[in-house]
Amino acid sequence: MGRSQADVAATALVAVLACVAAAAGAPGPVMTVLGVALFAAPGYLLGQLLTGSRTAGLERVAVMTALALVVPILGGLLLNVAGVPLHRPGWLGLLAGMTLAADTALFARRRAARAGRADRTATRVPATGIQAVPAGSAVPGSGVPGSGVPGSAVPGLPAADLAAPGGPRPGRPTTGWHLVVFAVAIVVAAAAVGLAATGAARQSQAHFTQLWLSPQRPGAHTLSMGVTNDEGSATSYRLVLRRGGQVIGTWNLTLGDGRTWQRQVPYTGKQVVAAGLYRQPDLTHPYRYVSVGPGSGAGGS
Amino acid sequence: MTAAGEPTGRELTAPRDRERQADVTASRSRLPVSVVAVSAAFGVLVVAAAYTAGRLGQAGTSWADRTYWAGQLLILAPVAARMLSRRSLSGNETVTLVVVLTVAEYLVKVCYSPAAFTYADELMHWRTATDIIQTGHLFTPNNLLPVSPYYPGLEEVTTALAAVTGLSVYVSGLIVAGIAHLLFVSILFVLFRYVSGSHRVAGVALLLYASESLFSSFDSMFVYQTLALPFFGLTVLATYRLAAPRATGHRAGWFTVAVLSAGATVVTHHVTSYLLVATLELVTLGALLARDRRLAAWASVLALVSAAAFGAWLVFVAPSTVGYLEPVIQGALQAFRGLLPGGHHPAPSPASAANGPLENQALAATAVLIMSVLVPVGWWQAWRRYRHQPWVVAFAIGAVSWYVIVAVRLFVTNGSELAGRASTFVFLPAGFIAALAVIRLTDNSLRWLVIRAGLRRAPLVIAGAVAAALALVLNGLVNGWPPYWERLPGPYQVAGAERSVGPEQIASAGWALAVLGPGQRFATDEGDLPVLGSYGDQDTVGDDGPLYTSPTLTPAAAQLIRAQSIGFVLVDLRLSEMLPASGQYFPVDPGLGTYKHPLPRAGLAKFNRLPGVARIYDAGNIVVYDLRGAAFYGS
Repeated sequence: MGRSQADVAATALVAVLACVAAAAGAPGPVMTVLGVALFAAPGYLLGQLLTGSRTAGLERVAVMTALALVVPILGGLLLNVAGVPLHRPGWLGLLAGMTLAADTALFARRRAARAGRADRTATRVPATGIQAVPAGSAVPGSGVPGSGVPGSAVPGLPAADLAAPGGPRPGRPTTGWHLVVFAVAIVVAAAAVGLAATGAARQSQAHFTQLWLSPQRPGAHTLSMGVTNDEGSATSYRLVLRRGGQVIGTWNLTLGDGRTWQRQVPYTGKQVVAAGLYRQPDLTHPYRYVSVGPGSGAGGS
Repeated sequence: MTAAGEPTGRELTAPRDRERQADVTASRSRLPVSVVAVSAAFGVLVVAAAYTAGRLGQAGTSWADRTYWAGQLLILAPVAARMLSRRSLSGNETVTLVVVLTVAEYLVKVCYSPAAFTYADELMHWRTATDIIQTGHLFTPNNLLPVSPYYPGLEEVTTALAAVTGLSVYVSGLIVAGIAHLLFVSILFVLFRYVSGSHRVAGVALLLYASESLFSSFDSMFVYQTLALPFFGLTVLATYRLAAPRATGHRAGWFTVAVLSAGATVVTHHVTSYLLVATLELVTLGALLARDRRLAAWASVLALVSAAAFGAWLVFVAPSTVGYLEPVIQGALQAFRGLLPGGHHPAPSPASAANGPLENQALAATAVLIMSVLVPVGWWQAWRRYRHQPWVVAFAIGAVSWYVIVAVRLFVTNGSELAGRASTFVFLPAGFIAALAVIRLTDNSLRWLVIRAGLRRAPLVIAGAVAAALALVLNGLVNGWPPYWERLPGPYQVAGAERSVGPEQIASAGWALAVLGPGQRFATDEGDLPVLGSYGDQDTVGDDGPLYTSPTLTPAAAQLIRAQSIGFVLVDLRLSEMLPASGQYFPVDPGLGTYKHPLPRAGLAKFNRLPGVARIYDAGNIVVYDLRGAAFYGS
């Protein structure tokens, strides 16, 4: 396999590795790297197949990126129609399958193009450089027919100009000094996002406790009762449950931050069931209050 | 003139030659692009510091606000100065400037909510994406934005990325939205570069496009339009490439690209797909006027393909789109009818917080004035030099829409929002035409004036151009999103936007989903609705103000409960403590902008006394009542 097929081999390898890694339960970072590569691979290959070397620089990257985004959109629709669940196996199958299919097509096209060039050489067609390649034939290395215009499909503009949008026409090489400055810019920008994330994590939020007492469906004979502590630290509570005004249960709870306590409470629907939550040491004023039952209103403040 | 509209001969090559000559002869800038990138990065850092100050309780202070704008100036000013400078600027440098501006502003957006989506529309699409992950299927109902599941492109890409990488929906969504935004800008640059033959015109056009009020917000958020835009752009770019005269043998590939991207547009966003057809028709018109039959043919064929695709999608997959868009279209038409002689003017909207402070309105007026002056100059330039160029003709016709949205902004009730939403598409042709004007003014006319006057005032002229460009872009930020009353993130605000998304709201919504199940009919307020509809997956009601405002349950409120089948009421007691930041307590609120006092506490607490109403959840500020056992619920 020559250098011109190296991208085909690399993308095929990515497809296989991503599937193997997913099947083997590879660690998150490995899946992230392979997943991003697999996500990009079909776009790159479709870009090669559809526009090949007729695009350059920014335009080429843009077309390939857009095609990479098209694949899950239209492919996902097909999977959905076929009844394939859109979970990891389905997406992996779609992206890997698309990659391998495009690899095969590109490989075959490049081989055919190489064979065509060999035939022309054998019949002594004069090869005077890239300008001698007729429109509709292939540019060496691109594997795409119809690349007769080197870098430009638009007349009136020099090829070098058309390659310019992001392409290799800087006229002014990027020096090492500039690269260092760009690297600094990236580091500073990353620091900015880190600062914002840290600020968001440390933002002081009002702390709270959730208390609930609820039938999970109308007419249910049990109530879901629970307490969740979101006070930012371990908190001690007393929970008092009453039915028809009579205390039927008391619980002293100490919950860590983010912890939940739950119970199922029998419920006939004939009497009011109410729960008062006290935050210790204040056992006089209910901190939270809920009530379910017929007759008068729920109460509370 | 070529079929693709590329200029031939003296008419168009002359200015390009002049530009190239200017590039060669002009001295190199003392402000390298790499330094511009560092400045922009420090700008993002300064903005992040301002955001952090806001989160630490300084959101209302003027110094935090000034810090934010200092950061924005660090991003914008060097980019504008370098772009408009007459010193040598290569194609790569121009692209780099555009990328730096786009990425920096996107990072500013990321820094605003770096932990989770908080904007209401983003939450809607987060819900759809989460549904796809949980069910494994498309088209799962979304109570918050019912039309969203029928345009699942954004969520498909996001969930696919999340599935194969293991990243969260939030991180995947940020990546997808950021790439889509940068991709759209890149495609626009390539297209403008081809059409104008000048990377400088393309760069300035993108700088002006960045001044549209949604560029840094709605067009880069995790919403379906963000992803549809690059497909829209790619279809138009493919049209250009298809019509190139030497594209014979290349066309199958580009046609496939065009069809795939048009299909992806249709699957991703309704309005963008309609405007894709309109844009292709506009290109057809430009080509016909410029007598470019090849371009007219390709543009009309792709318009037909796109129209057929969205027609089929509308009929077979997403018929609910009509009902979703009908009120918007009818409202716009009604407003337009009001503009006609003898038309009925709708009642003026009450004073809204959205109108903003005087300085914001002054900046908006300045920006409108600048663009309104630039567009005719651009038309003149287009007529003089590009009138046989079909793409420029199409852009010139499309730029008329600039004055339409100005009229809408000035004369239509709530026209600012409508004009703002349209600006994403209006600024495409208007920005290009205005860029022709800017280049003309900064290069030729002013050079002539300077030479004639014998003065060395070029730096002043450039400074004026930079100031005008900054006024435009700053206007887009000032009057865009977030609104001025939530410029910085900070503590909870009643009925605000992203500052109404807090842990207690999220916890309550999560509880509702876990205990009550999805899809319950909930009454709630403006600030809690997006969270309850997304995290809670509940079916929220928007026009429920009467339930909260009266100290007793009025017959009208009881009738509303029955008519809307409202089973639960979420009461946020802070509605009785603060005025609404957005000017409205409820999504549909007749009291918009008129509130002088917070809602009476008795109106919120009355549910405690209503027979048969169960108080099923209490988190301190947020209480949930179950109305299903009350006599008025079923009678």
